Amino acid sequence: MELVYSPKRIGAFLLFSFSLLFASLAWTAGDAKLESNIEELKAEVVELNRELFELEEQLLYPATTSFAVFVSMDSVKNFELSSVKLELDQETVTSHLYANEQVDALRRGGIQKLYQGNLKPGMHHLKAHIQGKDSDGRPLQRTVVVDFGKARSSKYLEVKISQNPKQQLPEFAIVEWK
Amino acid sequence: MKKHMKRLLITCVMVSGAAQAEDLLPDISRAKAKDALYGQALYQLHSGDYAAALGSNQALRKRNGRRYGKILDVHQSIAELGLGMNQQANQGFQRLLADERMALVPRPARAQAWFFLAKSFYSQGYWDNALTAMRKVDEQFLNSDLKDEYHFLIATLEMFRGKPSRADKHILALKEDSPWATYAFLNLAVSYTERDVHIDKVEAAFNKALELTKNTQQQKALSDRINLMAGQFFFDTGRGRTAIKHLRSVNLEGAYTPKALLTYGWALTEQWQYHEALQPWYMLKTAHSQLNQDVQETLIAIPHLLEKLNAKVLALGAFEYATEQYDAIHKQLGDSATRLNTGEFIEPLLASQVPDKWGSFVPLDLTLPNHPDRIYLKDVMSQGYFQGQLTKLRDLHVMRHKVIQSLQDLEAFEDTLATRKQEYSVIKADDAVASRERRYRDMDKRYKTMLNNINKAFNNPDGTGLASDQEKGQLSQFKSVEGRIKQLAGTRVMDSKREQSQYRDRLRRVEGVLKWHLSERYAERKREVSSQLAVLEAELRTAKQRLTSTRAAFEAAPDAFAKHPERIAKLRAKYQQQLTKIDKIYQRQRFAVGTIVKEDIKQRQARILDYQLQARLAAARLFDETSNKARSLAVKTASKNKNNAVAQGAN
Repeated sequence: MELVYSPKRIGAFLLFSFSLLFASLAWTAGDAKLESNIEELKAEVVELNRELFELEEQLLYPATTSFAVFVSMDSVKNFELSSVKLELDQETVTSHLYANEQVDALRRGGIQKLYQGNLKPGMHHLKAHIQGKDSDGRPLQRTVVVDFGKARSSKYLEVKISQNPKQQLPEFAIVEWK
Repeated sequence: MKKHMKRLLITCVMVSGAAQAEDLLPDISRAKAKDALYGQALYQLHSGDYAAALGSNQALRKRNGRRYGKILDVHQSIAELGLGMNQQANQGFQRLLADERMALVPRPARAQAWFFLAKSFYSQGYWDNALTAMRKVDEQFLNSDLKDEYHFLIATLEMFRGKPSRADKHILALKEDSPWATYAFLNLAVSYTERDVHIDKVEAAFNKALELTKNTQQQKALSDRINLMAGQFFFDTGRGRTAIKHLRSVNLEGAYTPKALLTYGWALTEQWQYHEALQPWYMLKTAHSQLNQDVQETLIAIPHLLEKLNAKVLALGAFEYATEQYDAIHKQLGDSATRLNTGEFIEPLLASQVPDKWGSFVPLDLTLPNHPDRIYLKDVMSQGYFQGQLTKLRDLHVMRHKVIQSLQDLEAFEDTLATRKQEYSVIKADDAVASRERRYRDMDKRYKTMLNNINKAFNNPDGTGLASDQEKGQLSQFKSVEGRIKQLAGTRVMDSKREQSQYRDRLRRVEGVLKWHLSERYAERKREVSSQLAVLEAELRTAKQRLTSTRAAFEAAPDAFAKHPERIAKLRAKYQQQLTKIDKIYQRQRFAVGTIVKEDIKQRQARILDYQLQARLAAARLFDETSNKARSLAVKTASKNKNNAVAQGAN
């Protein structure tokens, strides 16, 4: 068969090529727009959820009764945190098992809000059971206790794990935020 | 082949580079020990809860963003990247790095921001941009964990951009025990295959990568992948023996088994080992699903090999069998396409995802037990583009779920408010607070009266105020006895002074005993009464405090339900608007995913039809050959028999 390159054929070929090119460009542009739409949606949903979270805090934990317990950990070298259990007025209110990345997050300056609730004014008792492993992999368990008073304002306590610089051992304490 | 290799390489890099985004964060501890929100934002970011981290970041900005400096911008971009918001994250990083004030940001943070931006470009395939950003990273400010990843990435990018000598410098800078070294040598091997480097060097690079797999977490899978890549390369370049050596090392129960068995069979065929080649292909055919593309190729490869072994009748049967199987596969693919339209394909997969997990670092759960499309799905998921689009669809699905859940939360809040309002109205109607106040006032009054009486009783420290009636009678009797002694003094009855003094002394002794007894009791009673009074007073004080709190709570109670309804209504409207938007975008994304699948199914069906056509043609040819041979044999035998019979008749 002999190929004939007539201007008509070349024109048709070019038209076909351009239409393909435009179609692919339009597809890519549409794709990019869809992606940016999805990203916008994600940002909006995150913002809305934040608003909802704030509303929830104000509604369910008003400042007069609000009570929260945080967990923090300084750069403690020879202690690997596994779990924390909280007992408030002789009743277990929460417990948490830590994943590796959560322990790492604490080491890097993060503070975890372990418990939030409402508490009546008066004297209360908080007990934190902390479990983990030392540098040799042996289980280590400590319990820290605090008696504290609650007035008609929010109360925040922090279960603090720090390094004793002299003994090079982990220290555990519950401190009150004033 | 080269393209194929490159695709494998990129997938490999993307999998290996799935380090968490927060790993790239500079270690800047929280600004203030008791800044709870900042501390929480850090915790959320480092522990991979990017949605919460982004929310906390927004709250921090609203509260007092300036005091944290640029670090909030870095956090925001990282959280965005974690949520798969690549465009916004890139813009954020570029803004950050272009900003002159960025000089105020510590150099490690700056170095890591460039690194992070480069990685983001890299994961999206913008290699030129990634290389430009990577070249701006000041290596000395990266921590040791990131340094290896940096050398690996920049080496890969330099290789892709055709600068192998620069890449070599970075590969040599890698620590040998680093998992990145394995990937770097693998990439080096692939790069050699594309640069026509001497085959010995290619093999050495593959072998080095294999040796270093011991430093990686998924040693088996990575070894299989390297062996498969090496096997395919050596097979393509006509070095069958070396290919066979690598392909034989691939695990028989792994993700790369089908491809390895298929290539192994072809490599043996190339070495004229036809009998041996049948074994891996039969294994592949019997142990794997026919939806696997390697199995589909085997269906036609086996009869082809049988024909080479001159087992033509067997080959004919195998071609006919393959033709039937291709029909079934074509139908199965068609059914998948139908299920795609009826929502029985993608939707069950989305429904099985963890509802709260989303973002680019959360892998898709591909376990769809007993679903007819599960094998096809795993196969199609190996395509990076499809995976990316499906992840976006999953994110939309999760967002939709979250929005619906939030709307339910808002309903629950409204219920709470209604309950609070109802409780308040009951208390108000009962006048409970006022009645308790009245009771308290009564109690207080009674307490005060009692206190007066007690004070009166304790006025006289000799204790006579606490004497019983009998004791009081005795005390008055003492006075009358004293008077009587006085009267009798000087009379006959009591004429001597000595006698009078004896009576008086006796009287004083008795009186003394009684008063001593009374005074002793006074001290004891006073102590007892005082302690009881203290307890009572404390209880009254507590009651008063409680009453004050109750009064305050009662007065503030309407705020707990009156303030929020408007806010809830606004939020609900926003959520509903968001849900509509999500639904719209979800449909568009669903269409995009569906288009990819449909296109893929079409291509697979076309390939199946092509195989089927080849099988049919071969079957027809073989049928012709085998049936003609039988006929000619029959004719020959018949004529021979006839000749024999004629010869016998002549004799």
